[in-house]
Amino acid sequence: MILTGDEILREVRRGRIQISPFSPERLEPNSYGFSLASDFIRYDAAVLDSLRERPRQVRFTIPESGYVLEPGRFYLGSTVEIMGSDYYAATLYARRSVSTMGMWIQFSAPLGHTGAIIPWTLEITVVHPIVVYPGMLIGKIAFWKPLGFKQIYAGKYIHSTTVVPSRIYDESEQVQEGVQR
Amino acid sequence: MILTGPEIIHNCRLGKIIIDPFLPENCNPNSYNFRLGSVLRVYDEFPLDPKRPNKYVDLPVPPEGFVLEPHRLYLGHTMEVMGSRYFAPTFAARSSVARLGLFINLSASLGDIGFIGQWTLQLFTIHPLRVYAGMKIGQIMWWKPQGTIRLYEGKYQGSSGPQSTLIYKDFERKDAQDGRRSA
Repeated sequence: MILTGDEILREVRRGRIQISPFSPERLEPNSYGFSLASDFIRYDAAVLDSLRERPRQVRFTIPESGYVLEPGRFYLGSTVEIMGSDYYAATLYARRSVSTMGMWIQFSAPLGHTGAIIPWTLEITVVHPIVVYPGMLIGKIAFWKPLGFKQIYAGKYIHSTTVVPSRIYDESEQVQEGVQR
Repeated sequence: MILTGPEIIHNCRLGKIIIDPFLPENCNPNSYNFRLGSVLRVYDEFPLDPKRPNKYVDLPVPPEGFVLEPHRLYLGHTMEVMGSRYFAPTFAARSSVARLGLFINLSASLGDIGFIGQWTLQLFTIHPLRVYAGMKIGQIMWWKPQGTIRLYEGKYQGSSGPQSTLIYKDFERKDAQDGRRSA
């Protein structure tokens, strides 16, 4: 079951959902509105190798005056808010006001794990040039009641404090072992 | 919990889900197929800036169809007025449409309890693709919520036709209220 805005508020007050900073005005009928942080990453490599260590990347900060995202490029951004729950699963979406400008904030990967309480890294691309501002409302997070015995996320992004690029290269050994099995 | 097709039909008959016009044959095992409306909207001045209204033009979809070009955003709309005061909606492309390389939303599949109107679709295609008004393009799903419901009262309520972003209103409000806003 998806939580209503009132239920999200109740669970935040009970400490079963964490959203920081939290502002009750950002509650939606069945989600909570989150905002865009100023820290961005852009990969700087002709070919990204999924199992090579740390793809080359450029970190930059978008200014208060705005920054133009260009089509054909891929950006990683982050939510301002640290969000998550040990009791509910999460899904993240663009706000309609943002997607109708031609902007993605995630790439076919809306699901967040129970136990991941972090600022969320966003996968961003745009159809047309779009100005973005730090702190602008960009997406919404929904919480879902799970069925079954609880398992808490302890994965490689658990200690995220800002935008984090892919660390799938950590799985290099597993892949090599996997092909031998 | 997601509603089944028969449950969607049941709730439409009870008036707890609104899908208008409603064709029972467009019901799937756990969704309802909606159709593309006859108007597309495109922005025509760039860069788009969320702090001000962005210019656009509306284009009709003629009977012979309209060829969507890659690298452009087309805002479309559902023929149907859809919404519910009891269930949370999500929407997605039909698989048959996704297999043509067409997105109908851009990472924005979650709707709000209480929004009732024609839905704005964010059409983005990988290849040139001819689309037709009236084609079944997407599907809407309904989810049972947990908790007391506070209905959507946002700026898109009652939409008719494709709606371009009204995000600049958030910034106006933000300026006026020192960073505070509502949904």
